[in-house]
Amino acid sequence: MATMTDKKSLGRSRLKRRELTDGQFALMIGLPVILLLVVIVAYPLVYSGWMAFHRIMFFGGYRTKFVGFKNFQTVLTDPEFWWCTWVTVRFTLESVILTMLLGLAIGLLLNRPSRFGGLWRTLVFLPWCVSLYGAGLMFAYLARGQTGLPTAVLAHLGMKQVPDFMTTRSIIEVLAIGSSWTMAPLVGFFVLANLKTIPRRLYDLAAIDQLTPLETFWNVTLPPLRFTLFVFTSIATVLSMKLFDFIFVLSDGGPGDASSTLTYQLYKVSFKNLNLGYGAAMSFFLLFLIIGSTMGLYLVWGRREKQI
Amino acid sequence: MKRREFGTLAAALGLAATPFSRAFASVADFEPTSGKPVYFRGWQFAPEIVQSNVKRYNDLEHGKIDYATVTGDYPSIMEQSLIAKADLDMLYANPSTAVRYYEGGWVMPAETLPAIADIKADMLPQFLDAWSYDGKLLGLSYFASTRGCIHTNLLAYNKAGMTDKDFPKDWDALYDQIYALHDKGVATPILPHWFGEWYGISWGFVMEVLNRGNPVADPTTHKPTMTVDPNGPAYKTLAQWKKLWKSKLVPQEVLTYNEAAYIDAFASGRYVFSPQQIYDVQTMNTPGRSQIAGHTTILPVAKQPWGLIDSALYLMTNRKRPEAQTADVRKFTSWYGFKDGDGKTFVADRWMETHMLFSAYKSVMDSPATEARIKKAIARPEDYAVLLDVYKQTPFPTGIWRVVWSEEFNSFLKDTLSKFLLNDGDIADTIKGMNDQISSLNDKYGI
Repeated sequence: MATMTDKKSLGRSRLKRRELTDGQFALMIGLPVILLLVVIVAYPLVYSGWMAFHRIMFFGGYRTKFVGFKNFQTVLTDPEFWWCTWVTVRFTLESVILTMLLGLAIGLLLNRPSRFGGLWRTLVFLPWCVSLYGAGLMFAYLARGQTGLPTAVLAHLGMKQVPDFMTTRSIIEVLAIGSSWTMAPLVGFFVLANLKTIPRRLYDLAAIDQLTPLETFWNVTLPPLRFTLFVFTSIATVLSMKLFDFIFVLSDGGPGDASSTLTYQLYKVSFKNLNLGYGAAMSFFLLFLIIGSTMGLYLVWGRREKQI
Repeated sequence: MKRREFGTLAAALGLAATPFSRAFASVADFEPTSGKPVYFRGWQFAPEIVQSNVKRYNDLEHGKIDYATVTGDYPSIMEQSLIAKADLDMLYANPSTAVRYYEGGWVMPAETLPAIADIKADMLPQFLDAWSYDGKLLGLSYFASTRGCIHTNLLAYNKAGMTDKDFPKDWDALYDQIYALHDKGVATPILPHWFGEWYGISWGFVMEVLNRGNPVADPTTHKPTMTVDPNGPAYKTLAQWKKLWKSKLVPQEVLTYNEAAYIDAFASGRYVFSPQQIYDVQTMNTPGRSQIAGHTTILPVAKQPWGLIDSALYLMTNRKRPEAQTADVRKFTSWYGFKDGDGKTFVADRWMETHMLFSAYKSVMDSPATEARIKKAIARPEDYAVLLDVYKQTPFPTGIWRVVWSEEFNSFLKDTLSKFLLNDGDIADTIKGMNDQISSLNDKYGI
């Protein structure tokens, strides 16, 4: 009998030893993703790092030459890099602000009871489904004087003006509007999902307290949305900073270099001029800019939202 | 049957069967043998026509051609594909990119084609010269055109009280007339070649300097040839550009137009002059496509030529592949880029018929069908001779296009010229910057 009990307890302890800890379990289910990330993120990152320290030549036979920090130094002394950084920051600020405002407005409007709610939701979501290439073509047509919407409206009113928005002064705004048009529906739908979780009774209490619509929005609607808005502000920032195809199709970085963001400049340096080492070095500055911006957002906004 | 009779009969049968055997042999010449696909890539121009040509080859010759279009910045994308040794056997290329690809060791010259002697014999000499590098013909004719011949909207021109006799004879006279037309009430007399494609503003500058008599860089040494002499071609070109830009006769958005928008703008009828493709005379004269259909001509050559040679070739890559597959690539390239199994320039003839794409082959350009086709596209019968004359006299910028750094210089030129206009750049500094860039590229490549 004693022997049987011993065997049972031994078996139980073996079973117990075979159980995974939470950490091991997490590692096990996360391993495929980690391996995938190593392949698609770590390898190119390390390779880019290698390229940034080399001069790579294809003509006269492929060869490379170690140049140390020269590529990084050249980037920092290149006026074009600083101009493109400024264009990137300006475009990102405008694009993110527009995206968030538009997304919030979409969420609030779709949350209102409507007879054709499903239809509206489908229509509003469509811009998110349009490829950036297609959106770029469309906005180019809309913004140009000769084919643009404002020209058509003015012509309808009997005027002959040809308003041109593809200029150095307004091209960033055209890009920001187009970019927010494609991103805002996604933000709107997450805001809508968040709005659906706000208990109805909170609005009843606000009504009892005779809060104005603005006070109700500020004190009842906005607090539960703030974390979602922070997350999407971060996402929109990253997406805006690395946007390429939309800019390529709409303005090709022009007129001149008025809409040459860092990603566009990177493409030009790396793939048109085949200056891969210099391009790789520049890409690290873009990476620092993206990480710095999102860290900054977290420090001034996200950290507080977590505390709520 | 006696031995002699048998011999005679066999000889007679053999002679009788000769035409058939030649025909079969001819067809068999283009039939692939490796069983592997041939990868053919091109930019997005009438892909339905290309697809149908490819289908014809696949049907007739039992080929396995894998055709796809490439969107976006074509020269850069193809360069990356060649560097990456992607599946790519035949591709479109402009002569300047063809030289670069050749220098990269990525393409196989057309010299290796069995029909090379016939191909060269049929090729117009200016294209044979423009497409040859290192003594070798790099590819076969896709199209050969004049970009930058001056399309003229006769409706607006005649309305302003001007006739053929008043046609400007050179670039200076053209600019003078632009302001004269403006004084007569024409709001937008010219749509300059300043659009945003890689062959836009940069080529616009090159063609004007070239037409004014400066090759931009020496055709042999590739050393810069532009000077800051105020009467020199480069200086005069930039001075005219600056004056035109400041006059606000040209909308700033032209710098962001793609080619379609550029063509549409002129087809809208708002402009009197515009440097355009010679084959787009057809587009401009097509009712429903153009507001000035039946009223578009081009300026004849008088004191100087107009535009530059804009052409494209079919190139063969020399990636590693079995010899039988390489033979298939040669067969398809020869069939597609020259003559098919029936000995006809089928593809080139078709481009002429559908889109009026000019060819580098004499047999295409001299054919009655081509003459009829061009005459169908022009506004007036007398324009036919003008069109051919402009085409015949078009120069090629050998100094900057038959060199490995051509594409890098083109990218630099595009940025520099846009900034020159937008930032009211200094003419002498801009020319000096271009010359310095050419010298620096020569240093980079050890030229």
